[in-house]
Amino acid sequence: MNATREPRRAEPAPSKRSGPQHFSAWREHHLWSLASSFKRLRARPLGTALTIAVMGFALALPLAFYLLLGNVQRMSDTLGRNQSISVFLKSSQNAGGAETAAAALRERPDVAEVTIKTPKDGMDELSQMQGFSGAMQALDSNPLPFVLQVQPRPGQSAEAVDALIKAMHDMPGVDLVQDSGSWRQRLDALMSVGTRAVSVLAILLSIAALLVVGNTIRVDIQSRSEEIGVLLLIGGSRSFVRRPYLYAGIWLGLFAGVLAVALAVLLELAMAGPVARLAAAYDGSVTFGGLPAWLLLVVPLVSAVLGWLGARLVSARQLRRAAAA
Amino acid sequence: MCRSPKACLHPVCFALVLRMGDSVIGFDLVSKRYEGNHQALSDVSFKVEAGEMAFVTGHSGAGKSTLLKLLALIERPTNGIVTLDGQNLSTVRPGDVPRLRRKLGMVFQDHRLLLDRTVFANVELPLVISGVAPADRGRRVRAALEKVGLLSYEKQLPSALSTGEQQRVGIARAIVAKPSVLIADEPTGNLDPQLAMEIMGLFAEFQQVGTAVLVASHDLMLIKRMKKRVVVLDHGRLMADVPATEIV
Repeated sequence: MNATREPRRAEPAPSKRSGPQHFSAWREHHLWSLASSFKRLRARPLGTALTIAVMGFALALPLAFYLLLGNVQRMSDTLGRNQSISVFLKSSQNAGGAETAAAALRERPDVAEVTIKTPKDGMDELSQMQGFSGAMQALDSNPLPFVLQVQPRPGQSAEAVDALIKAMHDMPGVDLVQDSGSWRQRLDALMSVGTRAVSVLAILLSIAALLVVGNTIRVDIQSRSEEIGVLLLIGGSRSFVRRPYLYAGIWLGLFAGVLAVALAVLLELAMAGPVARLAAAYDGSVTFGGLPAWLLLVVPLVSAVLGWLGARLVSARQLRRAAAA
Repeated sequence: MCRSPKACLHPVCFALVLRMGDSVIGFDLVSKRYEGNHQALSDVSFKVEAGEMAFVTGHSGAGKSTLLKLLALIERPTNGIVTLDGQNLSTVRPGDVPRLRRKLGMVFQDHRLLLDRTVFANVELPLVISGVAPADRGRRVRAALEKVGLLSYEKQLPSALSTGEQQRVGIARAIVAKPSVLIADEPTGNLDPQLAMEIMGLFAEFQQVGTAVLVASHDLMLIKRMKKRVVVLDHGRLMADVPATEIV
């Protein structure tokens, strides 16, 4: 019941193909669709360039924000490492008391380094500051207390640093604890908001990029309804007709991804100069970090997938319409 | 009815095979009614053998185009059985339609060439669809273009060609995959009599190498000059089936 008679001359065999034949035909279809879709895009350079530009800029924006946030984070880490907590001892404390308190703090696992600043060191520092030298000379005696400069161990959470401050405040002989790193906590909170905002922006702009490709493919299919009709009439399957549009989506996505990466690299280069000057202001402790290499590779690939998805979303429905027309 | 009556021993299939014989194209009591109750074909029966050329003629609305549409699986019959190379087209699943269309070479009155592709790319399409390797495609496309006398035009766009040349490109595209059946819907409708005869001469050449050729045309003068079998339709009914030997 299900065998089919071979036709006299039809080529290739109209009955179902064998495995290797099927694979060979499948490969030829894909190669042809790949080349054909590229030629089509090249045939309308302005439209293609505009689509790629819109999509590329949309994808470059989150990359730029990612670059910016990464560098702010890096800067805050670097500057944060140099920030210390000043522990002012009571004026009744002498050098021995300061040494005892410093030794107790050095024992703590959450403390990296403790430096003792004597009242004389403090006076010298103030004398060097503009406008203070005259005032310092007018004093009969040094009113400054011993100060411990405590550097917390790096990588600790804000809560851990708070606990350390509280513990130091409760130490005997301590008058005042001054945390100059509270700005960092606020910056960390801002960074957290920024990171979330960039993630949401990246998702929204990716959807926008997907819709841009989808719309481009929709218009392309609409303008080629006659061609689609011919291809279906001469034996093209729906998947055969659809494939060049999917590849066009991939091409658009891939080129847009490459453009986005190129724009991000340009931004890196543009930022390198100002950041170098900033680094010089901080004795070279601030360095500029570019986008990671893996991200530069992944962005074009993800973008190509977005292009494919955009084309896939519209092509099936649009092809049905075009075929019916 | 099964999809392959010639390979089936079911009594209904067997009876059909007896009626269809060794035909490549078969219409057995085929009727087609469109929406709105328009009866395009009524109980039409005829068959075309391999290597045979036949004209389908009749006035406008006689059912010529519907007949070809049934063969090309653009439409399905309301009643009756249409067979192509032994396959019952009434029971073909939608997914199998492209595969069956590849058995057909189709020539249209308006050529239906892709105007943004070269002559070569147009003719190449059926081979691409069939998954033929590029080297083989080039050889076969050039052979088809040579056959219609347009080998030197392979890099031209169709818009640079005359109407007659465009129709030749359409014919080259129809024959390049060596189909067992060639159907043409008013292929000479836009051509002057001399060009029309040249085109018909090409069809006759394909017939001679074993292809079944079915041409819908209302050009009675041309049909008469070709001296081939003529199937006459009138208001969807088969009025006459005149063998080539009886054409005066």
